[in-house]
Amino acid sequence: MNIRNRLRTFKKEIEPQWKESKFTLHQIRKSPLSVIGIIIIVAFAIIAILAPTIAPPVGRDPFMVWKDGYFLTPQPPGSPVTRNTIAIRIGWTTHIFGTTGGEVGQVDIYYGCIWGTITAFRIGITVTVISLILGVAVGLIAGYYGGAVDELMMRFTDIIFAFPGLILAMALVMTMPPTLAIDAFFWIILAIAFIAFTIIGGRILKVSSGISLLLGVAGSAIIGVIYIYALNSPSLWTQIFPLNNLDKSLIALTIVGWPGDARLIRSEVLRVKQEDYIEAAKVSGCSDLRIILRHILPNAMYPILITASLGLGGIVLTAAALSFLGIGSPLGYADWGQMISFARSYVNIGMTYWWTFFIPGIFIFLFVLGWNLLGDAFRDVLDPTLRRR
Amino acid sequence: MGLGTFIIRRVLLLIPTLIGVTILIFAVTMLLSPIQRAALYVRSPQQIRELPNIAAQYGLYDPAYVQYFRWLQQVLSGNLGFSITTNDLVLNQLLIRFPRTAEIVLPSIPLIIIIGIYLGVKSAVHRDHIIDHSTRFLAIFGWSLPTFWLAIMLLAIFYGYLGWFPPGTSGRPLGGAAVEFVTSSGSGWHTYTGFYTIDGLLNGQPWITLDAIKHLVLPTMTLVIINIALIIRIMRSSMLEALGKNYIITAKAKGLRNKEVINTHARRNALIPVITMSGLLTAGLLTGVIITETIFSIDGLGRMAANAALSRGVPDIPAVLGFALFACIVYVGANLVVDILYAYIDPRIRLG
Repeated sequence: MNIRNRLRTFKKEIEPQWKESKFTLHQIRKSPLSVIGIIIIVAFAIIAILAPTIAPPVGRDPFMVWKDGYFLTPQPPGSPVTRNTIAIRIGWTTHIFGTTGGEVGQVDIYYGCIWGTITAFRIGITVTVISLILGVAVGLIAGYYGGAVDELMMRFTDIIFAFPGLILAMALVMTMPPTLAIDAFFWIILAIAFIAFTIIGGRILKVSSGISLLLGVAGSAIIGVIYIYALNSPSLWTQIFPLNNLDKSLIALTIVGWPGDARLIRSEVLRVKQEDYIEAAKVSGCSDLRIILRHILPNAMYPILITASLGLGGIVLTAAALSFLGIGSPLGYADWGQMISFARSYVNIGMTYWWTFFIPGIFIFLFVLGWNLLGDAFRDVLDPTLRRR
Repeated sequence: MGLGTFIIRRVLLLIPTLIGVTILIFAVTMLLSPIQRAALYVRSPQQIRELPNIAAQYGLYDPAYVQYFRWLQQVLSGNLGFSITTNDLVLNQLLIRFPRTAEIVLPSIPLIIIIGIYLGVKSAVHRDHIIDHSTRFLAIFGWSLPTFWLAIMLLAIFYGYLGWFPPGTSGRPLGGAAVEFVTSSGSGWHTYTGFYTIDGLLNGQPWITLDAIKHLVLPTMTLVIINIALIIRIMRSSMLEALGKNYIITAKAKGLRNKEVINTHARRNALIPVITMSGLLTAGLLTGVIITETIFSIDGLGRMAANAALSRGVPDIPAVLGFALFACIVYVGANLVVDILYAYIDPRIRLG
C-alpha cells in the first residue's frame, strides 16, 4: 500500500518530464537530418571502439601509423603489403585504402583513418568539455552578477575574438614550451589564490558561500595557468611533463575556444534572469547558488548543448587544419589532417592518386557533418521556444 | 543621442580593446626567450648571427612593462620588424600582400551575401518543405567541409583533371607568361592598385585581367561554398522571426499580395542581422584565408602568417605579430563599421 502510494506520487511527479522526453524523441524521429547525424556519430563511435580489432596495431604505439617501406608513388587501394614483415605476420595482407606519404615512407591510409577516429574524438571532446566547463563557470558568474566582473570578462573575450582563431592557435602552439614544469611554489600559489579569491567572494562581493568557492576555483585556475606559463627556470621539486604538438594544440584550441562559450552562456543567463520564476525564487529566499544551479542552468542548457555539438565539429576542423599545416600532431601520428597534408604533392597531377586526399577528407567531412547535423537538429528539437510552433 | 555622438562614443570604446589586443600580442611574444625575440630588431639576413648582442643592445632583458611600451612606440611609428621567411620588412610585405588577399576575398563577399539571402528567404518562406530541408542540408554540407580538402578536391578536378582553372604561379594569381610580363622591367607594367584584374585594364593589357580571373575562380568558389552557410542560417532564422510579426498579419489582412508582403515587409526587416554578419564575415575572410591561399599558391597575408608560424630554427615572430596586429585592426574596424551602419539603419539602437 505504502509502496504503491509512493509509486503513484512518483509517477505523477515525473509525468511532465516523461511526456516531454517522449515528445523530444518523437521530434527527433520526425526530423530526418537529426537521424542521419545520430547514425553518423554512432558509426564513428563504433569505429573508434573497434579500432584495435578492425585495425590491429603493428608497432608499440598504436597511434603511430605503420609504414610499408619506401615507394616513389602512393600505392592504390587494394594493393598487397610487401615490405613490412611485422605487419604481414600480424595479418595485414592488403592496403585497403592504399598508401600515402613520401619522404616519411608509405603510410597505410586505412590504419591512419581508423585510429584517426579516436584522435578526432579525443580532440573534439577534450577541447569542447574543458572550454564548456570554463565557459559555463565564467559565463554564469558574469551574467548573474553583472557589474565589474561582467565588464572585465566582455573586454577580455573581445580581445580574444579580435584574433583570427587559427592564427592565435598557431602562435600559441609555436610559442608553447616543449615541457610543462610544475614545482612546489605552484601548489603554494594555487592555495593562496584559492583562499584569496574565496575571501574576496565572501567578504567583499558578499556572495553566497557556494559561489565564492566557485570563484576561488576559477580564480586559482587562472592564476595557476599564468604561473605555469611564466615559470621557465626549474626550482624546488620541479616535475616536468613533456608536451607533444597534439597536447599543445589541445591547449591552444581550448584557449581560443572558451571565450565564445562564456559569451553565449552569459547571454543565455541574461535572458533567463529576467524571467518571473527567477524573481519568485529570489523572493522565496533561495540562495544565489541554488538559483544559478537549479533555476538558471537547466533553462540555459539547450543552447549550451547546441553550441557544444556545433562547436565540436568546428574544433575538429581547426585541429585538422593545424595538422594540415604541419603543427598539429607529431609526424606519423594517426590523424586525418596529417594524412591529407601528405597528399599535397599529388594534387596537381589530377585524380591519378585520388585516394590520398579523397579518403581521409571523407572521414573528416562525415565526422564534422554528423556533429553539425546533430547540433542543427537539436536547435529545432530541443529549444522549448521553437519546438511547439 | 545623435548619430555623431554615437560614432564618437563607439570609437572611444575601441581604445581599451586595442590596448588589450596589443598587450595580448606582446604577452605571446614574451613566452619566447630574449634571443628569439631579438629577431624583431634584425634589419637584414646577415645580422641573424649577432642575435645575442642585439638582444642585449635592445634591452630585451629589461622588465616586461618597459619592453611593452618600447614595442608599442615602435609599432606606432610603423616599425614592425624584419621577417625572415619573406626576407623583407613586415610592413612592406603587409602592403604588398593585402591586395592579393583582397582580390580573392572581395569578389566572394557579394556572391555569398546575395546567394545566401536568396536561399535563406526561400528556406524560411517554404519552412519544413523540401526546399527548406535541401537548402539547410546544403548549408550544413558546405559548413562541414574542411577548407583544405575542398580546395584540394576543386584543384584536382578543375586543374589536374579538366585543366581549366590553374593555381597561382610564384605567389601571384597569374600564369607563367603573365608573371614574366608583370615582373620584367621592360614591359612597362606599372602597379596601380595591386589588384591584377584592375591593373591589367589600367595598363591596357586585358589578357592579364582575363588570366587573373581564371586564377581567382577556384579560391573564390572555395570561400563561397564554405561560408554561404552562415548567411543562409542567419537569414532564415531572422526571416522566420519577421514573418511571425504582427505587421505581417496586418499587411496580409490589408490584402497585399504574398510576394509583396515577403519582399518589402518581411525581408527588409529581416536584413538587419545579415548586415552584422556580413561585416564580421568580411573581416574574418580578409584575415582568415590562410588555407585557401596556401593551396592555391597565392602569396597573401594568410600565407605569410602560415609560413612564418611553420618556420623552423629562428621563429619568424615579426611576421606573425604583424599579421595579428593587422587582423585585429581589421576586425575591430569591421565591428565599428557594422555598429555605425546598424545605428544608421535601426534608429532604436542609437536612441535607446
